[in-house]
Amino acid sequence: MSLRETNRSMRLRRTGLIPSDTRVRHYDELDEEAQATVRELAGRPQTAPEADDLDDGDVVKFTDYYEVRAR
Amino acid sequence: MSDSYVIIGDGIAGASAAETLREEAPDAEITVLTDEGESLYNRILIKEYAKGKLPEAPISIHQESWYDDHDVDLRLNTVVVDIDVENDAVHTHEGETFEYDSLLLAVGGTPQQLPVGNADAEGIHHFWTFQDARNIKESVEDAERAVIVGAGLLGIDFAAICGAQDVEAKYLMRGDNWWRYALSEEGAEIMHEAMRERGVEPVFDSGVDRFEVDDDGHVEAAVDPNGERYECDFAGVAIGLNFNTELVEDTPIETEDGIVVDEFMRTNVDNVYAAGDITTFNDLILGERAKNGSWGSAKEQGTIAARNMLDYGSDEFEWVSSYSITHFDFPFLSFGHPTLGDDSVEATTAEGEWRRVALKDGKVVGGVLIGDLSPQSAFKQLMREGRDVTGQEDLLMEPGFSVDDLAAATEQQ
Ligand SMILES: Cc1cc2nc3c(=O)[nH]c(=O)nc-3n(C[C@H](O)[C@H](O)[C@H](O)COP(=O)(O)OP(=O)(O)OC[C@H]3O[C@@H](n4cnc5c(N)ncnc54)[C@H](O)[C@@H]3O)c2cc1C
Repeated sequence: MSLRETNRSMRLRRTGLIPSDTRVRHYDELDEEAQATVRELAGRPQTAPEADDLDDGDVVKFTDYYEVRAR
Repeated sequence: MSDSYVIIGDGIAGASAAETLREEAPDAEITVLTDEGESLYNRILIKEYAKGKLPEAPISIHQESWYDDHDVDLRLNTVVVDIDVENDAVHTHEGETFEYDSLLLAVGGTPQQLPVGNADAEGIHHFWTFQDARNIKESVEDAERAVIVGAGLLGIDFAAICGAQDVEAKYLMRGDNWWRYALSEEGAEIMHEAMRERGVEPVFDSGVDRFEVDDDGHVEAAVDPNGERYECDFAGVAIGLNFNTELVEDTPIETEDGIVVDEFMRTNVDNVYAAGDITTFNDLILGERAKNGSWGSAKEQGTIAARNMLDYGSDEFEWVSSYSITHFDFPFLSFGHPTLGDDSVEATTAEGEWRRVALKDGKVVGGVLIGDLSPQSAFKQLMREGRDVTGQEDLLMEPGFSVDDLAAATEQQ
C-alpha cells in the first residue's frame, strides 16, 4: 500500500524565502503529471488533486518559487 | 562472487544508474568515480544559487552518507584517465585501478572556450559545476558591467544571473536573434524584451573577436568583430560543450559527437554502457541517432542503462526530452529536437504567447512554447505516437490544442 493519502488536494503558494532544509524541485525534474499540475496552479488561487511527484512543503522553481501545500 | 559495476560520473545520469543498480541488485558491488569534489547535486538549480535566490543546502541531492547507506563506494576528486576494455579495468590519475564486470560512462561534457585572445583571462566564466556557480556568484556580485556570449539555453542563464544581481550586461549574439536555430525573430523578441527589462541588452550581428585585460590579467573589455568595444568586469561564455570522449579515444568504443549507444544504452563493447549528455543514442522516436542535453533525459538514460547492465534488452530508451526557462514571469519550454526537421509552423497565439513546432516527414520532432505551455503534453504525445499531421499543421497552432482535435486519419501510421 502506498503511504501517500490519495484524496488530498494541493495548491501552490508563492514564496520568497527558502529555508536551507527545504526540498527544492525545478520544473524540469518533475514527471509529466506534476508538471501539468504546476502549470495549472502556478499564480492561480486554485486546488488540484495532489501530484505523486510533489510533497507538502516542497518548493517548486517555475516562473517563481512556489510552496506546495497539500491537505 | 557478486557482479561489480563501475560508474564514471556522479551527475544525474551516473547517480540514477547507481540508485537503480542498488534497488535491482542488492548484492552488486557498485563504485562511483567522479572528478568533482562533491557528490550529486542539482545542476539545474545552481543558476538559482548564482542569482542569489537559493542557499547552498537545497541544491545537494545525495549527501555523502547516501553512498554509505546504500553501500556504494564513492570516490570524489578521482579523475579516470584510461579505460582498458580488454582487461575490464579503469585507471585513475593517482594510479589506482578499478576492475569491473560492467562499466557505465556518464561523463557528460565540458564547456568550450572561445577560440579568441585572452579567452581564459580572470573574470571570464564558463558554467557547468557547482564550483563554477560559486565563482560566478562571487565575481558577479563585485561586477558593474558584464558581457555575455552564446545565444542559447545556457547563455540566457548568465543573462538572468546578471539581471538578478543588478549588473548591466551586453549580450553579444552572432545572428539577429537569440537561439536562432530554434526560434524566429518574432518568438525571440519576447525573450529579448524580458532580457531588456532586466538590464541585459541583446546586441545582434556581434560576437567576440578578442577580450582585453588590465595589468592584473583581469578582463576589462570584449571587442566584437565589428570593432565595437564593450567594457566589462565580468564575462559569461556559454557557446557549447565538448563531450568528454577523450577518455575512450584509444579504445574500440565508437564515438560520433559523443559515445554511440543503442536504445539500451550499450556501446559497441558488450560490457560498456553510456548514459546522459555524453551519448549519441539510437532515438526510436526520431528514427535516427540523436543527442539530448537535459536533466530528465540524463536521469532516464541512467536508469535504463542500469537495467540493461543487469539484463541486456530488458528496457529501451524512448523519451521526449524537454528543457524549460523559468527566469521570467512567463514560462518557456523547448521539447524534442526543435532545431531539426524539414518544415515548421509557428504562430503568436495571444499577446506574449508564441509557439513553433518543427516537423519532419509530416511528423512533429520538436518545438518551442513561450508563455503558454498547456500543449506540452499533447505535442509530446504526438511525438511518441509518431502521428503524421500533414494537412493539419494549423491545428497545432490553436490556443487550446488537444490531440483529439486531429482527425482520426492521422492516428499512428
Ligand atoms: C548551468 C546549467 C543549467 C542547466 N539548466 C537546465 C535546465 O533548466 N533544464 C534541463 O533539463 N537541463 C539543464 N541543464 C542541463 C543538465 O544539467 C544536463 O543535461 C544534465 O545534468 C547532464 O547530466 P549527466 O549526468 O549526463 O552529465 P554531468 O552532470 O555533466 O555529469 C558528468 C560528470 O562526470 C564527471 N566526469 C567527467 N569526466 C570524468 C573523468 N574522466 N573522471 C571522473 N569523472 C568525470 C564530471 O565532472 C561530471 O561530474 C543545465 C546545465 C547547466 C550546466
